[in-house]
Amino acid sequence: MKKLITTEFKRNLRSLILWTSIVAGMAALMLMLYPAFKDAFSQLEELLSIYPEEFLEAFGMGEGGLDMSDFYGWFGVEGYLFVNLIGGSYAAILGGSILSKEEDDKTIEFLLSKPISRDRILFGKAIVVALNLLLLNTLVGIVLLIAFTIYGDLIVPVWLLFSYAPFILQMIFASLSFLISVFITKSRKVLSIALGIVIGMYVIDLISKLTEEFEYLKYITPYEYINAVSIVNDQMIKPLYLLISVLIIGVSFTSAWFFYRKKDITA
Amino acid sequence: MIKLEVLTKYYKKHARGILDVSLEIKKGEIFGFIGPNGAGKSTTVRTLLNLIFPTSGTATVDGLDVVADTIAIRKMVGYIPSEVNFYDDMYVKDFIRYSCSFHGEIDQPFMDTLVEKLELDLSRKIEDLSFGNKKKVAIVAALVTHPKILILDEPTSGLDPLMQSIFFQFLEAEKKNGTTIFFSSHNLSEVQRICDRVGIIKEGRLIKVETVEDIMKTRAKTVRLKTEDEIKPTDDMINFEKVNGYISFVYTAETKKLIQLLSTVNVIDVTITEPALEEIFMHYYEREDQS
Repeated sequence: MKKLITTEFKRNLRSLILWTSIVAGMAALMLMLYPAFKDAFSQLEELLSIYPEEFLEAFGMGEGGLDMSDFYGWFGVEGYLFVNLIGGSYAAILGGSILSKEEDDKTIEFLLSKPISRDRILFGKAIVVALNLLLLNTLVGIVLLIAFTIYGDLIVPVWLLFSYAPFILQMIFASLSFLISVFITKSRKVLSIALGIVIGMYVIDLISKLTEEFEYLKYITPYEYINAVSIVNDQMIKPLYLLISVLIIGVSFTSAWFFYRKKDITA
Repeated sequence: MIKLEVLTKYYKKHARGILDVSLEIKKGEIFGFIGPNGAGKSTTVRTLLNLIFPTSGTATVDGLDVVADTIAIRKMVGYIPSEVNFYDDMYVKDFIRYSCSFHGEIDQPFMDTLVEKLELDLSRKIEDLSFGNKKKVAIVAALVTHPKILILDEPTSGLDPLMQSIFFQFLEAEKKNGTTIFFSSHNLSEVQRICDRVGIIKEGRLIKVETVEDIMKTRAKTVRLKTEDEIKPTDDMINFEKVNGYISFVYTAETKKLIQLLSTVNVIDVTITEPALEEIFMHYYEREDQS
């Protein structure tokens, strides 16, 4: 299985580098813009006060939300979203393609003619997904560490949460698309569905914040689980959300394994 | 070595798989498995490798169940797929090494021989290879581990005649070492050339298993004659054709009857030969259709 993991890792390395550069680059760009905006914040606050409360809340700037003139608040509103949307998209693409690509390209016929069990193939690939996402977030974390040290006082728990909370969100998207790819093996179809989930969940997140009527929707969107407001203000991810996240990831991967081991490979 | 017992596979989407296939292949035997496309050859191969699960019946390889003991089976199997689909972004060298990594040590001298004889360029990327060259990669990857069993699904497609001949030499050498070979093909002449026994599969059913020798001994004769008289096709004639003034057909009844028939017409020219396996094969197919 070691060889499978290293081979798989090598095959995915180029896209890992590309996506990590995009995510880290976006984060860095947003952080670099902070000094330029810093002074304008007093005016911005005034401007923002005309917006309805729900609207501000949707972007984490409502009452009890984030303070944009604070460095962490700025990143929580402006940078973190990009990290999650772009990183989430990468996770969905990686999780949805790592298995289905083998069937779509019909290379699975080669792999399954070798003495390696389906359990190990699945497990090895899941490890590569988790490893790639960890690496991505670690690199983004290094960018954040540099920026947080230069611009403000480094608060270690907030830095760690900003660096690795996206990993939870990404693992949710990756595990869901991984599960979907057991049933739908055309890579393009899997990817449209997976990306649909990433965007759709964000829309649900916005709706749950914009309307009180649909507030309960927050329990189904991973963006809420790793909300920047709790990271900056409470320095934590709510235990309930953490539990739900672990459950979704666990159930998705386990179901993928359950169905994959009995599946006819007809590609 | 390979034993199928009333093996059946239905697909949900496609109607036909295989139906009640029973078959036993002995150790060290080269068994030809022939039938047209869609007859169930690949379904059988895929079941042996547990890519798909049997609907009913059982299949064992060296006494091991294809579902329960699939890993142990795949350890001793070398497989050449009909359509070669390997990782396009890998180099041939890396791919073969990856393929061998599942089996353990590489027999480097043998690998060098294979690569040299098959004229394979290890330094190229898989995506840059032609179909035939991809096939060579599959052959090297399958043979280099000295498998006890070779499962070949139309292994020669894409190979030029010289390479086919070199490939057959390797197969014969492996057979001498006691390797059992399951050779699925729709090309009868190659099966005739290398196999000990042949199984004919049609529409998912195994309709005939015979030694190549026995099949060739069938009383059917290929007749090609020129005559100005008219000959009407009868039930004993198959593949009845008129080309360039010559009439040709495979005669399936007794030779004596054929001579009687020929004596009634004014024969200008005639050749009577042993039929090629293709023609015998058609003969089995037609007979099945009639019954």
